[in-house]
Order: sequence, then structure tokens, then C-alpha cells
Amino acid sequence: MITTVALAAMLAGVWLAVTYRENDSRAMLLPTQGMALFPDPKSLSDFALTDHQNRVFDLANLKGKWSFLFFGFTHCPDVCPTTLAILAHARDKIAKNTVGAEGIQFVFISVDPNRDTADKLGQYVTHFHATFLGVTGDNAQIGNLAGQLGAAYEVSIIPGVENYPVYHSTAVFLVDPRARHRAVFTPPLDAEAISRRFKVVRELEGDNAA
Amino acid sequence: MRWRHPAVVCLIAALGLVPAAGKAGGVSVRDAWIRETPPGVAMMAGYMALRNNTSQSQVLVAASSPGFETVMIHRTIVKDSMTGMEHAPQIELPPKAGLLFAPGGYHLMLLNPKRTLRAGDRVDINLEFRSGLRLPVTFEIHK
Repeated sequence: MITTVALAAMLAGVWLAVTYRENDSRAMLLPTQGMALFPDPKSLSDFALTDHQNRVFDLANLKGKWSFLFFGFTHCPDVCPTTLAILAHARDKIAKNTVGAEGIQFVFISVDPNRDTADKLGQYVTHFHATFLGVTGDNAQIGNLAGQLGAAYEVSIIPGVENYPVYHSTAVFLVDPRARHRAVFTPPLDAEAISRRFKVVRELEGDNAA
Repeated sequence: MRWRHPAVVCLIAALGLVPAAGKAGGVSVRDAWIRETPPGVAMMAGYMALRNNTSQSQVLVAASSPGFETVMIHRTIVKDSMTGMEHAPQIELPPKAGLLFAPGGYHLMLLNPKRTLRAGDRVDINLEFRSGLRLPVTFEIHK
């Protein structure tokens, strides 16, 4: 799966470079690093998770808006807070400069449901941005969505150890309003770059994605 | 190399005259900061720019703070396209060289803050080197 995503990302990069060199001056706006845009985006299939207000979060919640998805856990001192802080800035920039905030959502998916209750998740994500949504669920369903996006993770629960290790993907996944995996942002992440690239993706999509 | 007594540095830091920094025995720190975390979160991360101005290697072996139950030197690593943390038992600063503790790399993992830390607050962390050098550093909480 990881290899597939990497390969798809590479192919997408090549495809973009070729397409835009020939056809579209807006190619200048699409960087070659930091984001891979999939030319043939994969439609996501059913999954069943729960948001931080204990509401169902499933495939229907990804339809009709652009979603930025990030997998992590709240007992994560470095990468998760850093990423969420960047995404909060990115969201503000997108809302201000690009398209308004109506059609976008930012979702933090905890891969550590053992420790991340709905309450904890809510407190955590809304600290970074009031609109952020925290989502988790049972391991099979987290694995279901993560697998579809190519988001690797590994939770090594050790009995009696409070701070057991969790490994997770550092990428931010962009799902379009038809619930298709449209692009992936890879570190180093930058709020301005995410906002700028998202604007280009939206322009390229036009009304097709809605 | 000017040598400052740690107690003096502590006092100055306590008075707020040295913002988010520390210096002792030829090793200095600047831009020392901790990201504010949501209430109830037991883990924070400390970042800083370390500089070894001496002509010997300095090996950072431990850190401690009155503000946290535990302080550990950690490094964020990437393994099989996943990120995680590993404990770094010691970090060598070569002579006349700098080392950055920054998001996505080396950081001080700060476990169980003894009080809620908000943006603008300050907390002291003591860095301990193998040579016996102790460097008190004042970290500032940032959004």
C-alpha cells in the first residue's frame, strides 16, 4: 500500500509536470515537492468512525466538502501539535484568501482510541482551531480508512506502560467533495504552501469535483 | 570564553532579563520555547538552538525541570513512512558547533507539567552535560 501510494505520487508528479508544461501556465503554481495530486483519484468506500461529539463520522461526512485528514494521537508531543498548528494557520489562510471556509473541513483521526476518548479528542483538536473535528473508532475501522488512504500507523500497546509508542503517517490527505482521495501533502508542511496549492487544485477542479 | 555562574544566570533568568535562553561554561542556548498544548495534555515538547562555543565536544546526557515530572531527550524519527519517537540517551555537540532542537527532530519531551502552562509563561529546564556542566535554560511557552 505504501509502495502503491509512493508510486502513484511519483506518477502523478510526472503527469503534472508533462501536462502543465504543455498545456497550462498555472503549472507554475504547482510545486514539484510537498504535494502529490492524483490524476485518477480513488473513490473511498464505506467506513464507520465517531467524531468528538459522539456523532457518526462516515463516508457521507466526506461528501460535499473538501476534507484535510491527518492521522495521529493526543499523546504526541512533537509531530501532531506541530502539524495541527500548521493546519490551523492553513485553514485561516484558505478561509481568508481562497474560497471561504464553507466547503472545507479539517479532521484529526486518532489511531489511539485506547487513550483518546471523545472528550479528550474534542478538547485537543479545538485547542488548535475551533472548527477542527476529532474522529476515532474501533481499530478495524481506523485501519479501514487509513488503508484506503495509504496512511500507515502502528500502535504498540505495552501492558502497564503508560506512554507506549505510536507510529503514524505524517502526511495530510486531501479528499475531494466526491469523497475521492485527491492529493497528499507531505512534510515539511507549510501553511502558506498548503493554502496556495489547495487554491490551485480547486481551480483545476472547477465545478467537476462538487 | 566568558564563564557565568549558573546561579547568576538563574537569577537573571528569573528576573526576566534573559528571554528564553541560557548560557554556561561556553555552551549557550537561544530561542528556547515550548508549544502550548490543549488543557489536560500530559506531553509537551521543548525546542531550542544549542551552541557549543568551547573547543571540546560537549555531550548532553540529561535534562530535568522543576516544572515537569519527567524530561527526556527525544528525537522524532521516520520509519517505514511513519513517524515516531525514540529516546536519545546522549547527544554530542562537536566543538564550535550548533545543534537545533526543532519540530520533527530533536526535542525535549516534557511529561506531566506541574501546572497548566499558557502562552507567555516561562519554565526553567536544566541541561546536564557529561562534563558536569549544568546549564539552566528558561523556556517560553508559545502558541
